[in-house]
Amino acid sequence: MSQQSVGSVQALTEALASVGYLAERRLATAVYLSLTLQRPLLLEGEPGVGKTELAKALSKVLQRPLVRLQCYDGMEQREALYEWNHAAQLMHMRAQQDRATPEQLEHAIYQEKYLLRRPMLQALQTPAPGAVLLIDEVDRADAPFEAFLLEYLGEYQVSIPELGTVRAQIPPVTILTSNRTRDLNDAVKRRCLYHWMDYPDRERELSIVRQSVPQASEALAQQVANFVERLRSAPFANALSRSPGIAESVEWAKALVALNTLQLDPEVVQSTVGILFKQREDLAALEPMLEALLAPAPDA
Amino acid sequence: MQLGDARVGKMADNIVGFARTLRRAGFPMDSERISVALESALMIGLEEKEDFRAALEATMVCRQQDLEVFEQLFEAYFRNPELTQQLLAQLLPKTTEAAPSPKRRARAQEALAAITSSNSRARVEEESVDFDAAMTASDQVRLRHADFESLSASEFKLVQRLASEIPLPWPRVPARRTQRSRAGARVDWAHTLRECARLDGELLSLPYLARRTQALPVLILIDVSGSMERYARLMLAFLHQSTRGLARSVYAFGNQLTDLNSAFRHTDTDEMLSTANALIQDFAGGTQIGHSLEQLRLTRSRQLIGRRTVVLLITDGLDTGEPSDLSQELAWLKRNCRSLLWLNPLLRFEHYAPIAGGASVLQKYADGMLAIHDLAHLEDLAQSLAELVKQ
Repeated sequence: MSQQSVGSVQALTEALASVGYLAERRLATAVYLSLTLQRPLLLEGEPGVGKTELAKALSKVLQRPLVRLQCYDGMEQREALYEWNHAAQLMHMRAQQDRATPEQLEHAIYQEKYLLRRPMLQALQTPAPGAVLLIDEVDRADAPFEAFLLEYLGEYQVSIPELGTVRAQIPPVTILTSNRTRDLNDAVKRRCLYHWMDYPDRERELSIVRQSVPQASEALAQQVANFVERLRSAPFANALSRSPGIAESVEWAKALVALNTLQLDPEVVQSTVGILFKQREDLAALEPMLEALLAPAPDA
Repeated sequence: MQLGDARVGKMADNIVGFARTLRRAGFPMDSERISVALESALMIGLEEKEDFRAALEATMVCRQQDLEVFEQLFEAYFRNPELTQQLLAQLLPKTTEAAPSPKRRARAQEALAAITSSNSRARVEEESVDFDAAMTASDQVRLRHADFESLSASEFKLVQRLASEIPLPWPRVPARRTQRSRAGARVDWAHTLRECARLDGELLSLPYLARRTQALPVLILIDVSGSMERYARLMLAFLHQSTRGLARSVYAFGNQLTDLNSAFRHTDTDEMLSTANALIQDFAGGTQIGHSLEQLRLTRSRQLIGRRTVVLLITDGLDTGEPSDLSQELAWLKRNCRSLLWLNPLLRFEHYAPIAGGASVLQKYADGMLAIHDLAHLEDLAQSLAELVKQ
């Protein structure tokens, strides 16, 4: 499916669902706007709510290759954008040393064939239909890197001193994700559309679990969705340092299926809860709450 | 959008007006953002209210903590008749207490107040006193009644401004990790070689590696007893904003110790305040510093990491417990932290000297103490905190 055929928010929601990504209407609207206005989309949210998955799903829907740039502390331009292949350049110079003038040499080694393309340059130069560029966990990179992103986010172009400006023929669909370990610069946010991804409601979570773990019985899927929803809500969530995301509940459902579980009980939860929580304090805090968490819903 | 597009007419007015309301509520809002919002609103159309809202949200909001305020303002702004009604109900003097209106964040309320007052100025003027939430002298009276409500727009802006303008200079120590620098103890050989390759084997400069620095972890203990009542709320709000990104743990104490870490985990200051409100049981009660510290020692001693933690104790030292207990606990605390800083707002006592039982013990153990005589504004408080930390 090409970008033109994603003609409305509804069509986009359906297209995403067809590749297994159940987007809520608000998210679909934000994505639709980002596609039509050709603006990058900044997704923030707790870990495991499906930010990265969205980029993967979009690349399938739009049939564009996914180029992924994983950010980390201390990342530099040469890991994100381009680097000259110094070894090849040196070899070329050695080989041509006696035959060429310095000017000729210089001209020869700053050719595109000595350019190592890193994700952002790859995304810019991807021929039609263009690429989906995922700049993942941009909050992990440092502030100078954000400043370097500005030219790309605003104009879909980058400047390489030796070659000039590289402009995208087709602006890549750009998705930035952040876990909010720090606040991003306003200049970056101004160039992006923004969407805060929340934990899904029970119904959506249930459909996601059903879809990703079809082997799970209906009753088990229901129980998993109930349990996780309660964990994330008021009295329980305050006692925990982190609420489990969708990724965790899907993993958990898979584990329960692998153990041939038909019905959640305190014992099964105790033995598998390491999938939902990775902190010793949380495991300890969960134990006294188990009874209340597993109690049947009042309306059921 | 094209120039002369007839559809733009009324909608442009409305969206610009809405954007200005958001700006009053503390949203960063420039004209480019407004034009993108307008463009996307035209694209999505008005058929589905939810879609329209999602379009404005994607273009006009850029922080999670603004989402709730946005939602309330959207509801109020695009449903005008009801808005006027609700606002007028809230504008009535507080004693009537009639007609429960939907609970709105104070930030939203104040931003909306400006619209109503321009729409129906004559009627509103005489009653508009309640909305003036600037940090004026009369405000202190209001605070006493309204502890731990959400921040009003001017308070929100004040807290944000102070947090960014008055950085608290927490002490920093060298970390394990290194970064490239002009001078340092070690040569960055890897980078040197890369540079050499780039320059055909020439060695022009010698980059060094120096150790990074990191801020020390902070433990904040804040007194929420009766004598501190007036400042606890704004103090918490300010600390919440200005210690962002630090390894911090926060406890409130009065008669007992309350763990506020789950509240401080929210990025939204309003949400932090309401969670803290629910957590603190003994607000405006008595003070038993010794007992509270004992609880800290027995249950949370791991919060003091490797004797590197900076402890910030905010209390007036009016302790009702046994001085000997307090002394014992403080000795423990002092042994296990890097430094113990005491901020002492001496609220009502002009000629106060730390001779009262608790205060003299505190003074003996504190590494740094700062007393403020007349704490009229949050600004003074932020300044003195910065001063204390610098010591």
